[in-house]
Amino acid sequence: MTTPYLHINGIRKVFGEVVATDHVELSIAEGEFMTFLGPSGSGKSTTLYILAGFQDPSAGDITIRGKSILSTPSHKRNIGMVFQRYTLFPHLSVGENVAFPLRVRRMGKSEVDARVKRALKLVRLEGFEDRMPAKMSGGQQQRVALARALVYDPPVLLMDEPLSALDKKLREEIQFEIRRIHQETGVTILYVTHDQEEALRLSDRIAIFNKGKIEQVGTGPELYANPATHFVADFIGDSAFLAGELASVSGERAALRFADGTTVAAVPLHGSGRAGQAAELMLRPERIELATEPGPEGASLPVTVEDMTFLGNNTTLAARTPWGAALSVRLNFGHPLAANVARGDRLHIRWSPEAAHAFVRG
Amino acid sequence: MSITLAPKRRGSGLGLAMPAILLLLAFFVVPVALLLLRSVTEPEPGLHNYRTLIGSATYAKVFFNTFFVAGVVTLVTVLVAFPVAWALAIMPQRWASVIFAVILLSMWTNLLARTYAWMVLLQQTGLINRSLMALGIIDQPLQLTNNLIGVTIGMVYIMLPFMILPLLGVIRKIDPAILQAAALCGASKGQALFRVLLPLAAPGIASGGLMVFVMSLGYFVTPALLGGTANMMLAEMIAQQVQSLVNWGMGGAAAFILLIVTLGLYAVQLRFFEPKPEVR
Ligand SMILES: Nc1ncnc2c1ncn2[C@@H]1O[C@H](COP(=O)(O)OP(=O)(O)O)[C@@H](O)[C@H]1O
Ligand SMILES: [Mg+2]
Repeated sequence: MTTPYLHINGIRKVFGEVVATDHVELSIAEGEFMTFLGPSGSGKSTTLYILAGFQDPSAGDITIRGKSILSTPSHKRNIGMVFQRYTLFPHLSVGENVAFPLRVRRMGKSEVDARVKRALKLVRLEGFEDRMPAKMSGGQQQRVALARALVYDPPVLLMDEPLSALDKKLREEIQFEIRRIHQETGVTILYVTHDQEEALRLSDRIAIFNKGKIEQVGTGPELYANPATHFVADFIGDSAFLAGELASVSGERAALRFADGTTVAAVPLHGSGRAGQAAELMLRPERIELATEPGPEGASLPVTVEDMTFLGNNTTLAARTPWGAALSVRLNFGHPLAANVARGDRLHIRWSPEAAHAFVRG
Repeated sequence: MSITLAPKRRGSGLGLAMPAILLLLAFFVVPVALLLLRSVTEPEPGLHNYRTLIGSATYAKVFFNTFFVAGVVTLVTVLVAFPVAWALAIMPQRWASVIFAVILLSMWTNLLARTYAWMVLLQQTGLINRSLMALGIIDQPLQLTNNLIGVTIGMVYIMLPFMILPLLGVIRKIDPAILQAAALCGASKGQALFRVLLPLAAPGIASGGLMVFVMSLGYFVTPALLGGTANMMLAEMIAQQVQSLVNWGMGGAAAFILLIVTLGLYAVQLRFFEPKPEVR
């Protein structure tokens, strides 16, 4: 394998008793949009801050084109960053904020002017040079911050939840801009978020963080279709989990048995397991089909309808399995059953065998 | 002692404020007015006291000294207070509180006692000179009292809390992420200091500096004890005029000029450094 462009090599960071990141290992290609996705406190920012040089790792290394950057101080790393909080220099105008990285590099005036203009054009804030940051909205401030981070053409851009303080509509608007800017500039981006939709919308690949470790790395569709762990399955997309135990295991497939003895067969199994071990069946609601008859190959379960909620494009049913586990099932608008289903109906949920996943618990 | 203007309120706050206004009138405005009156009536009516003060070389030297010493003290105080305030702002809160308490305690310790303590430390046979000689850094004791050095050391020490407090106020408000942003933008520590930190701390430097400067202009005890006769300051001269020469006219005129200068400086500060209401 050739040397990766950016390599995060076994980064571990300990704060006193707290292990913030533990052996984070990741290779990023040049020009890639990589997102760190995970709940708050999972070590995403810490990894980014080590890249930025604000913190030193307790162990591990970070290389760009095979050369370690850890001994280079922040101000010489030539990396761009947009922060979660607004970090424009409040005493400088928008134009001077964007010019700042060029001024500290002692660039000539005409070059500075040209680059500031180009950077502001890139974030669609032409003509805002003389505005003070305090007179701008949060979304505008973050766009100026983006211009400031890109004006010196850094090869790598870090973004730590830059949109988390903005409302949903504005967030989507700027996400779109970020995508465009990524395509126009070809800069390698490392983006941190806890919002799965944002991650899916923006990224080439996503690294799922949990408790300081990366659980899985992959494209959005890969993670959605093939979650490696319960955590990933739970974090990306909606899913239902039904707890039971492994009845039998053959190769990468398993049969699961539930509390009342009901079994389902031939479920793709993640991780290794033996018969008798506690396990969970995971189903995506949109891949569950509701029917009056059980399905073939044991890929189905009987359920009792408890409640129905009409939500416009679908009707969501609250259902219960024979052993009492709750489950929600969606019926798209116009589904033949949607009009006739009633509380207390006994029906079956069915799925294609590939759509279910079994995770060993423990 | 910070001078803050009461927030402007609509309507009838005046009735409630009456006792305070009367108190101010009785204890501040009336004495100042009397002094002003004496300065233009004693020993005979007219502006001759002011003419003498402004016209004579001796008094001009006193004015120059006063401003010079106050200027030096303010500058040195800023230079010492800035790193202290910075350290207090970034150190763990618990330690900062302890150090802060020590600073406040020193503020409440008797001024005269503290100035005498410096005299003892700074004199020819004092601890500082003896230590330096013992260490072989100097062969002859340094002249540290009865001159500008003594006044500066003694006054800077007394003024420090008045500078640290406003500085701490502005520095605490600076988001550390702004300095991280500056670093990633390529700013070295020095560039971050001069291009970001100092400009953001400017209002604190201005208000603390003004307070220190104004207080220094009118200081008496420290210059009298640690300064030499060569650099007499205005307050010493006023004391001399009133106590030794019983010349209330001259003393009043000097005090009044000092007051006008002070108010002028305060107006400048209000005009340029008062934080404007934030627009979001
Ligand atoms: N400077 C610090 N001192 C002590 N603990 C820290 C520090 N920074 C982060 N942590 C801890 O490390 C863990 C990971 O934090 P962080 O990387 O900020 O998570 P995320 O960005 O994913 O929300 C958390 O438990 C957090 O409390
Ligand atoms: Mg974070």
